[in-house]
Amino acid sequence: MGKKTLYIKPQESMVKKMNTAHPMFAVVGHPNKGKSSIVSSLALDDSVQISDTPGTTTKKRSFPLKVDGKILYELFDTPGFQRARRVLSWLEQHDVPADKKHEVVQMFINEHKEDVRFSDEIELLEPIMNGAGIIYVVDGSKPYGEEYEAEMEILRWTGQPSMALINHIDETDYSIEWKRALGHYFKMVRTFNPMETTRLQHISILESMAQLKEEWIAPVKASIKLFEKYQEQMIERSSAAIARLLYESVSTVEQLSFSSKEASKEEKEKIARNYKDKLRELEVSTQKKIEQIWNHDHLKKEQKLLAFEGMDLFSEETASVFGLTKKELLITAATSGAVTGAGVDLLFAGHTLLLGAGVGAVVGGVGAYFGFNELSEVKVLGKILGKRYLEMGPMENRNFPYILLGRAIYHTTQIANRSHALRGVIDIDMDSTFKEKWLRDDLRKALEKYHKKFRSGKEMEAEELAEYEGLIKGVLERMIEK
Amino acid sequence: MNLKSYLDLYELLQTDTTTREENRAFGLTHVVVKNRPIEQLLAWVNEHRAKLKKPLLSETFSSYLYGVTLTLTLIAFVLGFLSGVGLLSYSGHEPVNVIYFMVMVVFFPLFTMTLTLISMIRANTAQSLLVHISPAFWMEKILYFLPHKMQENLKEVKINPLLTNWIVIMRSQIIALAFSFGLLLALLGMVATKDIAFAWSTTLSISPESFHRFLNTVAFSWREYYPSAVPSVELIEQSQYFRLGDKLSEEMITNASKLGEWWKFLAFATIFYAIILRFGIYLLSVFGLKRAIKKSFLTLNGVKRLLSEMNEPIISTHSSRDEKKFMPNNDSYIQVVSSLDTSYDVVQGWAIPKAQLVVISDSMQVISPKLFEVGGGNTLDEDSEIINKSHGEVLLYVKAWEPPTMDFVDFLEELIRRVDKVIVYPVGTSQEHYKTQSKEVEVWARKLSTLNHKKVWLKR
Ligand SMILES: Nc1nc2c(ncn2[C@@H]2O[C@H](COP(=O)(O)OP(=O)(O)O)[C@@H](O)[C@H]2O)c(=O)[nH]1
Ligand SMILES: [Mg+2]
Repeated sequence: MGKKTLYIKPQESMVKKMNTAHPMFAVVGHPNKGKSSIVSSLALDDSVQISDTPGTTTKKRSFPLKVDGKILYELFDTPGFQRARRVLSWLEQHDVPADKKHEVVQMFINEHKEDVRFSDEIELLEPIMNGAGIIYVVDGSKPYGEEYEAEMEILRWTGQPSMALINHIDETDYSIEWKRALGHYFKMVRTFNPMETTRLQHISILESMAQLKEEWIAPVKASIKLFEKYQEQMIERSSAAIARLLYESVSTVEQLSFSSKEASKEEKEKIARNYKDKLRELEVSTQKKIEQIWNHDHLKKEQKLLAFEGMDLFSEETASVFGLTKKELLITAATSGAVTGAGVDLLFAGHTLLLGAGVGAVVGGVGAYFGFNELSEVKVLGKILGKRYLEMGPMENRNFPYILLGRAIYHTTQIANRSHALRGVIDIDMDSTFKEKWLRDDLRKALEKYHKKFRSGKEMEAEELAEYEGLIKGVLERMIEK
Repeated sequence: MNLKSYLDLYELLQTDTTTREENRAFGLTHVVVKNRPIEQLLAWVNEHRAKLKKPLLSETFSSYLYGVTLTLTLIAFVLGFLSGVGLLSYSGHEPVNVIYFMVMVVFFPLFTMTLTLISMIRANTAQSLLVHISPAFWMEKILYFLPHKMQENLKEVKINPLLTNWIVIMRSQIIALAFSFGLLLALLGMVATKDIAFAWSTTLSISPESFHRFLNTVAFSWREYYPSAVPSVELIEQSQYFRLGDKLSEEMITNASKLGEWWKFLAFATIFYAIILRFGIYLLSVFGLKRAIKKSFLTLNGVKRLLSEMNEPIISTHSSRDEKKFMPNNDSYIQVVSSLDTSYDVVQGWAIPKAQLVVISDSMQVISPKLFEVGGGNTLDEDSEIINKSHGEVLLYVKAWEPPTMDFVDFLEELIRRVDKVIVYPVGTSQEHYKTQSKEVEVWARKLSTLNHKKVWLKR
């Protein structure tokens, strides 16, 4: 078929803004191969629409990494190729030397701006023609096919630096044939799983992206540093939120006024209910806050609310999953100096008895002494302005702070380690090994000091709360993979 | 940095509405004070002070503190003066015992200053007991006499106890100083206007010599420069006074004029112990208060957040624009065939090479005189040629896992203009024996239903 030679006006001949200040990367490819998933996980943005329906992404979207408003690099999510062959045949009608091919692509864009048939192609080509490096995404769990060649050929026409990412949507593996084919078009071929991105993988993919252009190495390096800083910030802010949750939950006091002579059973139940609701509310809102900190505000969760029913926080199952066991509590109480006078005697009794067989009853008594079984007594307060008040709180149950803290830390680690590309429901259900992972003996001792203070209902100084925060930060740093 | 700015900061933080972005912008535009948190905070207070509603808490509080301190200072001064006058009043029958006055201007100040030093050391440990004995502590109690509204304002203020301790300590020194000045004034006034006979008297058996030695020690700081302000052994001997006995009449009367010499010693003792030393302690307390304010600045609730907002870069990775919600159309209606015929006029494979097409057709037990690969590596012209060669019923295999592109739709539209019926048949990979996932077929069904053409069928 006849090929046209073309004449290009000089001012059009330059790829626009070839040297934009910051690196740009356009994630492109066939529809439904995980482009949006990859962008979502690299940009830590869980709001990107990801679905198994092709054509979900209809417009290109920019995801800049910004620090104080300054863009370090920019990532583009794009719609997939729809009419690659048609575009390629248009391009190939122009017989130009290799150094002019990108100009033909630009001409294609200019001429088809209004053509709805090519809206997807134009969306995806535009960032590339503006200087973005190409990240071509394929699914390595499905066989390679010739139909991809038109897409890769078009990308070659743009003249922009490029790399290929092999994603694995399914278990099957065709990466060998993919690598062989991709090798013809791309200097660099990497595999990447957006659903299980660890921080190390994230960094290593950024490092590869930096290789696309020499002048991108430094800014991308800076970006990696920044991501580290970002994680540190998120851990810090999470620990502050958790510290606040613990302090508020343990020290909170619920009041209920009643006018009759004596509070009725209903009123007593009501205050207990209000009290528990408040504690749950605090936990839920803190979780929300933490999800926001980690950019997971669109999370769908499956999780049991904090349960008090029967409040046998002390039963073997609950205690061993969330909080401290009875023995640990006794030791914590003793070593943290929370026990005085009679407590010490009881403790010794308890301690020796714990070794024996028929412990149950006696330990139950010890438990009651330490307030293991009660949340907090309902107190009747004297007359204030002619009314009487029922009051509940601060939390007297010694185990409660550990349960709450365990849950908060578990939740945070789950959120922090979750890829932003996942859209399913997250099941936050702890198992009993988790406690062993985060709570060590020395930490337990250190924490108890603050829990005791929270319980006392005294005003906490910012300094002390900061120290407590520091302890939690230490745990999170340990638990959240680097 | 002073109490006022501390309270302004306190009040600003209580009602803070600044955003993280604003605070970071502030941090970035005030680079001079970077890494100096106190100065950063002060600059921030200056920037935002205008937001506070009048009267400023800091003004209310300072004027209250000022008023109370002034009142107490005046009272202390008058009290000092009156006790001075009381101690020095000379009935004419008995001489004035210098020991009382010395207790007041030397020993009492030394004692209270020791207490002050101890309370300074312990000021950090919350409410020090010693602070409670201080008169300034009771200033707080005067709060109840303030107008109601002012009371309400101040009651809500939760000042760091460390700071209150230091405020109390510092104010106590001012009050004590006023008291000392009262004493000094009384002494000078009495000496000037009256002829006082000083004497000393004690039940303990102290010889005049040892008393002299003692006084000489007390006067260590000025004895070199003003020897006349240290009583001589002679004067001490002469002015020893016994309540019982006749020594008084004889010696004292003859030396009456000399006995007045004591006043210089007393004046110097007052100036040195009750005023200069006290002033030193006052300076110490001013220094201590400054440090306490500095510390309180940094531990104020909300300061940590504010500082980190100013100094921590704001990092964001998400898209700046929201995405238009994609609405998939779920009502896919498409004509379905559930079993294949044994032969078709044409068999085509979308992006499926001819060799594979043969294998697939074989396993599906379908025969056809014409097998074509379409799409895939073909050019558009090649596809058109194949369409031209097609007729009747076409079985069109597609890769189930590949989503239908518009390229495919274009082809299909062209094809149905030419043939009578097209059965689109999504097949899985050969590895999976062409089995498909229903999810994948669903995607194809939806795409075909947008075509909504009576010639198009889906095999599922
Ligand atoms: N299991 C798994 N699913 C993936 C992976 N990447 C993408 N997907 C799924 O593939 C579908 C298409 O992903 P999407 O990111 O929207 O692809 P795009 O059309 O290229 O943007 C979605 O249902 C994703 O959940 C992966 O690595 N593992
Ligand atoms: Mg997408």
